[in-house]
Amino acid sequence: MIATLIAQVESLGDAASAEGQALDSVILGEQFYFFTVVLMWLIHVGFMSYEAGVVRRKNVLATALKNILTIAVVTPTFYYVGWWIYNCNQPGLPIGPNATDFTAAACQGGIPWSDAFGPNLTNNINLIFFLAFLLFSWTTASIMSGALLERVRLSAYLVLASILGSVVWILDAAWGWSAGGWLTLRFGFHDSIASGVVHGVAGAFTLGVLFNLGPRIGKYTRDGLARQFRPQNLHITLMGLMLIFTGFYGFYAACLVISSTAFPGWANIYLSPTTLGSITMVITFGFAGGFTGGYFASRGDPFWTVSGGLAGVISVSAGADVYAPTLAYLLSMASAALTVYAGTFIEKKMRVDDVVGAVAVHGFAGFIGMFWVGVFAAGYPTGVNNVDSSIGGQLMGMATFLPLGFLSGYAASFVLKKLNLLRVPPEVELAGLDVVEYGDAMYFPEVATPGEMIVEPDGEVVPSETVLRKARDEVVV
Amino acid sequence: MPGIIDSSPDCVTNTEGGEKFAEDGADFILQANYQDCAGFMTFGPGSTYGDEGSGAESIYMILTWLGIIVTLAALAAWMIYENRQLIKHVARFSLGPTPMTPPDGPPPQPGGVGDQL
Repeated sequence: MIATLIAQVESLGDAASAEGQALDSVILGEQFYFFTVVLMWLIHVGFMSYEAGVVRRKNVLATALKNILTIAVVTPTFYYVGWWIYNCNQPGLPIGPNATDFTAAACQGGIPWSDAFGPNLTNNINLIFFLAFLLFSWTTASIMSGALLERVRLSAYLVLASILGSVVWILDAAWGWSAGGWLTLRFGFHDSIASGVVHGVAGAFTLGVLFNLGPRIGKYTRDGLARQFRPQNLHITLMGLMLIFTGFYGFYAACLVISSTAFPGWANIYLSPTTLGSITMVITFGFAGGFTGGYFASRGDPFWTVSGGLAGVISVSAGADVYAPTLAYLLSMASAALTVYAGTFIEKKMRVDDVVGAVAVHGFAGFIGMFWVGVFAAGYPTGVNNVDSSIGGQLMGMATFLPLGFLSGYAASFVLKKLNLLRVPPEVELAGLDVVEYGDAMYFPEVATPGEMIVEPDGEVVPSETVLRKARDEVVV
Repeated sequence: MPGIIDSSPDCVTNTEGGEKFAEDGADFILQANYQDCAGFMTFGPGSTYGDEGSGAESIYMILTWLGIIVTLAALAAWMIYENRQLIKHVARFSLGPTPMTPPDGPPPQPGGVGDQL
């Protein structure tokens, strides 16, 4: 009798202990994602500095405000639409909240009138997990932002940012960046830290937009040769990139699932085991290899050296949960070098004026990152069906994401262009966006209209005003 | 005493004072009014979301849709406002010299290789 009572008391104690551990684990997860969100803000500080430094003086404030206002529109649109897309559309397009498949329970928490979307004493995770994804959404929009600088309308950018940040990327994430997405379940598609899901798709979307937006006035000669606009402050640009890199550590960490009650405590987005240390090694070696590859491929060009670091990391993100550090180092070095060539090809052969090289750095590197997994990391069971990662699965993902990103960007920008709402008038572009959007008296008089210079295709540096006035008529379209 | 709108769900016990709950320390006093709650929020569905979303309070649905409409309206207003600003400044530039004022001529048709597809 006494023994039975003791056993019952002990079992109650064990249950209480297990319950306490589970609660501790949940709270640990809540704190963890909170700090990743804080770290990821630095990505947006970085994007703002990066872009504000790379533009001409007359466009600095408009550029910075554009980045900040990304947050103003992507936050509510992702809340009202994006989280539903992710949680309710993993098997395909679309399922409702009442479906009984794998995603049904998550789908209930993904709709904006769910009680999981407000203060809820029994759900510590949904809101903070949503916020981590929201920061990813800002990032996808910001990737596009830099490519469109100095001629896109603010409002057009905000509409495009909402579409990319709250619809397009999160749809591909539902399909290929979840344990229950159809790409994962059927093909074992593996993109653990979002090489293609975030960067590749954003790059493809951006390319579609750039086709309709066109180059800045004066970017190309009548013969199609590229001129170079001088950045107003390259130090700010490099600092911005370093801030982006810092925020990337938060981004990488936020891509993992943490649970202190399950071995080994960490899992990738497909719920396969990994560790925080593994992916941190890959990101760090990705930077190291990327800087090196970018430096040598560009012959020491500072912009491409640092952008090479970004491209390097992006290219090893898809397999960051399983790559050996040396593999990450070598792959990122090769990928960064290829990205430099891709950027040059896009600018000079395709004549696409991508101000920050986003299509190459994010798009090209993102897609090649997906490909590398098929080559170097096949055989890893992925998703709840445990389908092995393979080159076929990776190619299926790439073949899905490329048209999804490109066509949606092209279509959305095409509509805006036809409504004459995509691009600022040429008079405004030449005078600078700041004076129109934010008034005449922003700068000290001596820097309001600085002597702007431009680099001709043959390397000669000349005052830009005459060139741009002539380019007003000879702009390559 | 509620403010203008009492939006707390039914699970919240609106009893002022701590004596009634004083038997187990300050934290218990502070949390006792919420002890019947699981999820709660202003105008929210409370702790009884229910099957198929039917438990959601109608006012919260209205609030959600109001937010969606405001978001779309803000985007539209942004486009309209900016368009007016741009038209105004183009007209202003045409009245006098400004930095980088383009010469007279037909307006360019910005586009890119997409125009040739």
